[in-house]
Order: sequence, then C-alpha cells, then structure tokens
Amino acid sequence: MILDAHGHVGDWPDFLIPDPSAEGLVATMDRIGVTAMGISHLLAVGPDAERGNRLAIEIAERFPGRFGVWQVYNPHHRTPLSSVRALDGIWGVKLHPDVHQCRLDDPLYEPVWDLGLPVLAHAQTDSPWSDPAQFAAVAARRPEVPLLMGHTGLWPYGFARAARLAADHPNVYLETCGSKMTGRWIARLVAMIGADRVVFGSDACFLDLRTGLGRIALAPLTAPDRTLVQGANLARLLALPP
Amino acid sequence: MPKLVIDAHRLIGPVPFDDLPSDPRAEMDRLGIDRACVTHTLSLYSDAEAGNEALLRLDDPRLIPVPVVVPGVPGASAPADLHQVLAWNVRMIRLCPERHRFDLTGPIALRWLAALALPVAIDLEETSPAQLHTLFTRLPEQRVLLLNPGYRRLRAVAELMAETRRVWLEMGTVNTQGGVEWLAHRFGADRLVFGTGAPIADDCGPRFLLDHLALEPSAVDLIAAGSLSGLL
Repeated sequence: MILDAHGHVGDWPDFLIPDPSAEGLVATMDRIGVTAMGISHLLAVGPDAERGNRLAIEIAERFPGRFGVWQVYNPHHRTPLSSVRALDGIWGVKLHPDVHQCRLDDPLYEPVWDLGLPVLAHAQTDSPWSDPAQFAAVAARRPEVPLLMGHTGLWPYGFARAARLAADHPNVYLETCGSKMTGRWIARLVAMIGADRVVFGSDACFLDLRTGLGRIALAPLTAPDRTLVQGANLARLLALPP
Repeated sequence: MPKLVIDAHRLIGPVPFDDLPSDPRAEMDRLGIDRACVTHTLSLYSDAEAGNEALLRLDDPRLIPVPVVVPGVPGASAPADLHQVLAWNVRMIRLCPERHRFDLTGPIALRWLAALALPVAIDLEETSPAQLHTLFTRLPEQRVLLLNPGYRRLRAVAELMAETRRVWLEMGTVNTQGGVEWLAHRFGADRLVFGTGAPIADDCGPRFLLDHLALEPSAVDLIAAGSLSGLL
C-alpha cells in the first residue's frame, strides 16, 4: 500500500500549476499505484482555512478512500477543527508556520496540540517560523502528538541536522517531499533515524506526484524499508485499515 | 519504457559541500540510464581548464563530454582561445556566466558563440529569460539547452520557448504536477530533454517520471533521448 502523506489541491499564487485538480491527482495515483493521499486545499493554506477545509472534505467525499484531509489551522483565525478523524476522512491537522508567520512553538497552536490528532507541519531549516529545532521543542512538550516534519526541513544542508533533532523524539516523523530532496538523501535519512521514522510525501499538486514517489521507488533502500517508508509507517500512525 | 535513455545533465568528480559519488556510472547502471552528458566538477567549483582536461581524458562512449568555456579577453578566458575549443571536437559546451562572472550577451561571448556554432548548455540560475531573449536577438541560430529550469518560473520559461525554437528544456526539475506534459503539448516533446543534474540534484524522481509520463511512447522516446540527439 502506497500512502502519500503530503498532498494539496488547488492553485497557488507564486507559479503556474498546470493541473491542480483532484481528478488529475486521482488519475496519476491510479497510474502509479498510490492508494491514498492526505491533502490540504491550498486556499486553506492561504487566506481562507475554513472554506479551504470544507473544499478538501468535499473532495475526500467525492473520491472515497483516495484522499484523507489535513485540516489547516490558521492560528490568527482560530480555525474550527473537527476532532472526529475517521468519520469524515480527516487524517489530522496541517500547519504552515511560514505562510501564517507564526512560529511552530507559539502558544497560539495550543488548541491543535490539545486536539491530539496527527499534525503535518511545514518545516524549513533556518526559518524563524519552522526550523526543525522547533519540532524537537514541541515534540518534547507534547510527546503524545504524532508530528510529521514536512520536507525534513526543505534544504539539503539541514537534512542531517533535522534527523539528529528528531532522533530522540519518537513522535516525530521525517516527511520526504520537496524540490531539493533526492533518493540518495532518503536512503541516508533511513540509515540515520530508521526506516520506521521516514514517511513518503509528494507535495502534489504543488509538485509532481511521480517525481516524489520515484525518489522512494528508486532510492537505494531494502524492500522492507521501502515498504515502511512508502506507506506502512503512515498507515500505522493513522491507524488506517490494512 | 523508453528504448534509450540519455541523461543530458550529469556531473563527474567531487563536490566541496557533500559526499557524493564522483563517478556517475554505477548510478546510471542502477537506474537504467544508457548514456550521459557530463561536466567535470572541477570546471564548476575550481579551475575550468583543469576540469576540462580531466573530462576530455575520459574514454568511455557512455559519457559525452560537455566542457565548460569561459569567454574573455586574453589571459581571462578558458581555454586561452576559441580555437582550442574547436580542437576538442565536442558536441556541446557549457557556459556559467554567473559563476564565472562574464557577460553572456557581451561582445566577446557573442563572438565566441558565433564562431563555435555549438549547442550551449546553460543553467537557468546562471542567466535569465530576458538575457536569453537578448542572446537570441543577437544570435538567432544559437541552440541552447536550458538546464535546471525548475517549476517556479514556468511562465517565463514558456514565454521563452514560445519566442524561439532554439531552446531545449531539461525536464528533471520541471517538478510541478503535469508540468512536463503541459510543455510537451504546447511546444512539442522534441523540445524537451531528459536530464537530472545528478548527483547534486535528484535522479530517482526524474527517471521514474520518465517511465510514467502520460504521453505517447514516441513522445517519451523523444524526451528520453531523441530530442537531445537532434539538438547535438
């Protein structure tokens, strides 16, 4: 089973996304064997989390079993969140400290940690908002919350440090998407922190799903490690049915 | 699956900021890449001439040498004069105007390019679409392989491709959903070239993407090798 931990639907202002649709994602998922993808709507990451979250849930309902929803929490708008995970296909909460300009360790996120759902957060090495050190700080304070470190910090010069910072916090998982990630680095991360702590994500439709999966599929990994990274870890932490 | 795969953009040699394989051939074998255009890292991170000498000593038909040329006044260029470039008998050269601090559309670079009449590989981060527009205005027959175009500047890159048919695009970093198909439908698969920038950039993702493009097999074969063969 291949599960994509980090997906999006919708447009983004910075650049052209030729195919931002859910239909396009499903066609690609079928083409390469991806069972399901966790999505947040890019409108929700941007200015309207509440409406974007509703759109993401509608998409998940339109394609049963193919999408889980990371409901975006905007700390400035105090976005209402559902705490019922399985009923409406919600996988957890998505945070984007850089877009929302609110540090990951800011008290404004307390309602999210209190919810107890898995959290996928953008991470960016040396960012004042989302440096991996903030993930370690939050994970130490809230060890009961599964925390996916999006992009493993984004920049290659910070990948090894991100793995070191996460190593002592078993609730932190390194998520693999990003334009600078390589198959070689994914194999290194597995060697550093263990295959049970690395989770496949693509960032599609922002990025191309096939490129993201290819880094896992063709990385120099053992078959059991690849199975964990490409879906078994996420299925375990989300308690998804086998 | 494409019949033949040529990576238009690989490096050979060590890099100063990471521990990466200095010889690309083992990874090429593992990923099913038949041949590769290679530039020596010494030419990028040290002395261009030393890198070119090491590159041109390679004697492997799988590796197509792409030496780095630095146009300039006598004493500031690499190699010392453009006749040495012609003596190399290579099929493509690489220019790094930003790294080597010369003007791509300055009089010397334009004279060298006109005299060489060779395809030129340039990383988009080493130039700009506006500078390339100027280059094509001055040298309308110049062929350019645009390396590392990325996905964030897709609009500007598409405008460049619409204005001239002398630009070919490396697809390894065209990494937004459906980006390669979007370009192929608008400009033709014969303008797109498989390339990775490995080992610094990723080769696993682009190689997988090549096998799973939503294009006709003939178009995939062009991207995998045919377009580059046409360019060279």
